[in-house]
Amino acid sequence: MRYALNKIFHGLLLVLGVTLISFILMVWFGPDQTYSLVGKNATAEQIAEVRHELGYDRSFALRYAGYLKQLFTLDLGSSHSSGEPVNSILARTIPVTLALMVPGFVLGNLLGIALGLLSVQQKGRWTDRLITGFSVSSMSISFLVIIILMQVILSTPYGLNLFPVRGWQVNDPGSYLKYVAVPTLSLIFITLGYNTRFYRAVFAEEAGRDHIRTARAYGASTATILWKHVLKNSLVPIITRFMFSIPLIVVSGSLLIESYFGIPGIGKVTFDAITSGDQPVLKAVVGLTAIAFVLIQVLTDFLYKLVDPRIG
Amino acid sequence: MNKPVLSVRQLSVTHRLSGRVVNVLDQVSFDLHQGEILALVGQSGSGKTKTAESILGLLPPDRWDISAQAIELNGSDLAALPESGLRKIRGRSISMIFQEPLTALDPVFTVGNQLCSVFTRHRGQRRREAQTSAQAALGRVGFPDPGHVMRRYPHQLSGGMRQRVMIAMAMACRPSILIADEPTTALDVTTQAQVLDQLVQLGQKDGVSLLLITHDLGIVAQYCDRALVMLDGKIVEQASVEELFANPRHVYTKALLNSAAGAKPK
Repeated sequence: MRYALNKIFHGLLLVLGVTLISFILMVWFGPDQTYSLVGKNATAEQIAEVRHELGYDRSFALRYAGYLKQLFTLDLGSSHSSGEPVNSILARTIPVTLALMVPGFVLGNLLGIALGLLSVQQKGRWTDRLITGFSVSSMSISFLVIIILMQVILSTPYGLNLFPVRGWQVNDPGSYLKYVAVPTLSLIFITLGYNTRFYRAVFAEEAGRDHIRTARAYGASTATILWKHVLKNSLVPIITRFMFSIPLIVVSGSLLIESYFGIPGIGKVTFDAITSGDQPVLKAVVGLTAIAFVLIQVLTDFLYKLVDPRIG
Repeated sequence: MNKPVLSVRQLSVTHRLSGRVVNVLDQVSFDLHQGEILALVGQSGSGKTKTAESILGLLPPDRWDISAQAIELNGSDLAALPESGLRKIRGRSISMIFQEPLTALDPVFTVGNQLCSVFTRHRGQRRREAQTSAQAALGRVGFPDPGHVMRRYPHQLSGGMRQRVMIAMAMACRPSILIADEPTTALDVTTQAQVLDQLVQLGQKDGVSLLLITHDLGIVAQYCDRALVMLDGKIVEQASVEELFANPRHVYTKALLNSAAGAKPK
């Protein structure tokens, strides 16, 4: 209990720090919207009025407090470019992004774990070399090449022409599978090399520990050693990698996939907000990402305690 | 003397690493007799641990080449056994205790879990039954409250306790042979004596032959019947402990004895 309170207190401090930095960079030193709103030939009074409406004339502390209040009450204002409330934009796009990214993210990690285990089991033999060679080459191929190749092979008349190239007209499980297939495959191939190499390194290190020798000296099979001893001892780095990839994959990873497949998710919205300087949207995305990071960190700490009795 | 339980003939081991081949063991031959305590003595890097590991087939084949004319355990040849056959021997007919009791047990499983798996694996026992057996095994090595120890994780026990857990695990299946690889080097002096006494007493009770790997000639003098002296992967001298101390033949044995003034056979 004291541990939990302690974690939450530290989490809150972290949220304050991160939001302060994002506030300073984005809002305090951010673009001035006044002149795009007042139009040409505005009088000094009109300018002052708009600046007052935007809150530019208030002090630093007040504006930061206002930003925090917006974040914690989820009262995020409306988009400058479309006028749609930010809440409704987020409610519309976040589920799309999750539906789009979760299958590829989970499968990519599970496949990486499986290949890493297989590689360590076959250490030094040709299977291991094949897997290692595959991961290095997959890491060296640009994600652009992978996405375009996938689209050409699976979605065009030049290839199999099985799936739509772009878009997201999802209204039932069948259409979901149709639209999610190619992005998922692309995401798996983009991340698989990195995942496999990471997990192989973790498993190889754990497989060399003294207690693995003990398990073997007491007759444990290779399967028991890998699935019981190596895997459970590797859970801390696995959880770390998995959990901390979540915010990245939701925002920046989906930015990539969404823009190439024309899918209206949070990544696309963020990208458009950056290019058009749509501050309410940006503030919401950055602030909420920071909060998500902190929540995930607290959750990760709890998971550590669950899997490793030495922590805590 | 009665017939050997373990008979190692011409055991050679080479290590391959990035194109370089190193001879780690060179034609090692020795016998271990029923109920005997045999010391394997030598400095660090002389090949004592590798001898034990290659008898059990624990060296990973991608880096290590093992060749032997024969490694006979009660008449059957371990060198000819496939991995699956060796697995049935490990921890059942031959068990091993390691030098570092902190790292030798898996940190993320309880002592009970690790001890029970030996019973489920080799005795075909079910969970409940294995737990009863494991408690009995811990009781035998002198834990007053085995149920409590079963629920502990290795890091929650002291070095001496961990090593006693290892002894319980090693004795779990009443093996013919117990290989103890520097079992007390990582422990403090008072604990050393307790752990060794326990090991030897239990071994005698169960009729286990003990191969005790050590560099401590005091331990050899106090506990062992015979000794093998190892240098650079070869056995350079083997004799009964009394004879070794009274009349060392090899130059290296003499040097070793000189460096351990005060050690005398029992």
